[in-house]
Amino acid sequence: MRSKIDKFLLIVLFPAFLTCMYLIFQWVPQIKASNPAEQIAQRIFYFHVPSAWLGFLAFFVVFCASVAYLATRNRRYELISVASAEIGVLFISLVLITGPIWAKPVWGIWWTWDVRLTSSLILWLIYVAFLMLRRYLPDGSKRANLSAVVGIIGFIDVPIVYYSIRWWETQHPKAVMASSEGSLAAPMFFAFMFSLATFTLLYVYLIRKRYQLLKLEDMLNKQFKEMEIL
Amino acid sequence: MAIPALQIKDVSKDFGRIIALRGINLSVDPGEFVSILGRNGAGKTTLLNIISGVSQPSEGSVELFGSDPSDRQNKAKLAVISHEMFLYDNLTAMENLEYYSRIYNVPDSAVRVEQVLRDIELTHRRFDLVSTYSRGMTQRLTIARALLHEPALLLLDEPFTGLDQHAIGMLINLLRKQREKGRTILLTTHDLHTAKELSDRFIILEKHRIVKDGMMADTDPDKIRNEFFSASTAGVEV
Amino acid sequence: MRAAIAIVKKDLRMEFRSKESILAMWIFSLLIFVIFNFTFEVSRLVMLEIAPGLLWVAFVFSGMFGLNHSFALEKENGNLRAMALMPVDGGQIYVGKFLSVTLIMLMFEALIFPVFIIFYDLQLSLQTFKLIPVLLGGTIGFTSLGTILSAVAVHTRNQQILLSLLLWPLVSPIIIWSVTLTGMVLGGEITASFYPLLTRVVAFDVIFFTLSYMLFDFILED
Repeated sequence: MRSKIDKFLLIVLFPAFLTCMYLIFQWVPQIKASNPAEQIAQRIFYFHVPSAWLGFLAFFVVFCASVAYLATRNRRYELISVASAEIGVLFISLVLITGPIWAKPVWGIWWTWDVRLTSSLILWLIYVAFLMLRRYLPDGSKRANLSAVVGIIGFIDVPIVYYSIRWWETQHPKAVMASSEGSLAAPMFFAFMFSLATFTLLYVYLIRKRYQLLKLEDMLNKQFKEMEIL
Repeated sequence: MAIPALQIKDVSKDFGRIIALRGINLSVDPGEFVSILGRNGAGKTTLLNIISGVSQPSEGSVELFGSDPSDRQNKAKLAVISHEMFLYDNLTAMENLEYYSRIYNVPDSAVRVEQVLRDIELTHRRFDLVSTYSRGMTQRLTIARALLHEPALLLLDEPFTGLDQHAIGMLINLLRKQREKGRTILLTTHDLHTAKELSDRFIILEKHRIVKDGMMADTDPDKIRNEFFSASTAGVEV
Repeated sequence: MRAAIAIVKKDLRMEFRSKESILAMWIFSLLIFVIFNFTFEVSRLVMLEIAPGLLWVAFVFSGMFGLNHSFALEKENGNLRAMALMPVDGGQIYVGKFLSVTLIMLMFEALIFPVFIIFYDLQLSLQTFKLIPVLLGGTIGFTSLGTILSAVAVHTRNQQILLSLLLWPLVSPIIIWSVTLTGMVLGGEITASFYPLLTRVVAFDVIFFTLSYMLFDFILED
């Protein structure tokens, strides 16, 4: 059953990503911008924003899994939280990479200490620390407890971090989806939603795979242990 | 029959890749002195951790005098002595004991502190920092600290390892006294002869399970050794 | 509260006994002022602008030092496990450690602040008293998160580096707010946003204190 779902996801993901590429690089009309570089760079938006959304989703899953772990002490939730934290860090890394690639031609600089940029960086640091902590601890229920505590505190801190630097002037483009004026044209909106959906499916696929891998690792180790015992 | 001091039912500790205990069943009556024997890694320490409520079993239940050991109030009834000192080097013996008597809410603490200091023959050094103590003295103080709140259940995790002869003799004496007072005592050790000398009953943990549960009186320690800790398995710990 | 008070007494007693660590922290803060002065050779005007940040850098570094020290004491001789065995709630133990760390850090601040005033030739006025709630709020925020994260980090071999990794990003909001508020007071321009910002600091303190209080039991448990 499990592998059937995975197979299905994989079969859907391949054409979906190809379609994504087509939509983003061919189908979507060129934006009007004085700077020709900006016209091309703008297309990074379709990767940048879905990655950011996935990062948040992944960290929310870390939070939920951490709470569930402390409530049940079930290894399953610990594994989910690790899998999700790893994927979240991966996607926020993508955000931090694609952002400057866009910013260089448009703003003329790679980086600026702006709200969105700074808070994304801090977010990334929080979950890198979470993963580092796990590296430093031996496997066992102690590690599970400690990382669940950090998983909870970290997520509660995320909106506060964002809020704390909001009073700084922001250069970052507004959340386009929200504003009515200057909102995305219909084809852009469609391409964006398509990309978002594809990325979310990718997350589902990745977390399933990572979770299964962690579980297999557990089983294998346990089998070795049993062999030692017998 | 009164409530057992300790009632363990089908306890397993099995977390991720770690298997520590499997299907442990054990009932200890108040006043019993039980030795837990087994090789390193057999699960002795995990078992004590679960009994003391520091560690949660993955399956099964533990009751200490009829209630859950992870219940904080219940912890006043037990004490642990292990290779860890549970003392602050930068405090005097007196200050260490006063601190723990406040934490454990020991009644008449001044009198009690003096009494335990006398028991371990450290009254003359009570105002010296623990960091100036010899190893043996620190270990005696560790024992005093554990007995301070008169625990009904004593958990001893390899208490004799690293002790000097004087401290071993003192600990054995104190344990005898505790036993006479009707305290329940669980002891993990490698020293079969001391175990025989002190305890009424023994259990052997092997491969995370209890493989033998018997009375000390009708057992010959050398026979146990041959049966369970035979030379083929190196006899490292025996 | 009995256990919490016992822990505070014990910690303060040990801290005062080994005066070296207090002295070391104080000298360390002095060094921060000196080094910043050398590395950024700036005009007095700019210096005044970065002074609040500098003050908090000194506070936070010495606070870090204090946190590491406080939990290193609990690690020696397995005292952390002794805490797990205590017949008191994890929350109480948290309160005890939190209070002792906070008191020590506030004491440092009281020692560092006069030096800071002299070095940067700041004008004191009645306004300066408004710094007290700012320092209290910022410090409590730092220590409430710092206490629980030190208790986490102390379980690793690399306690100090891990505490920095965990604490810095998480504590950044409170530091940002505290620096802003301190700047307002020292610059003598307390604007309308002073009290709302101070309220945020207090809200942060309450959130993380409560959260840590509830979660501390899980840290002690194996």
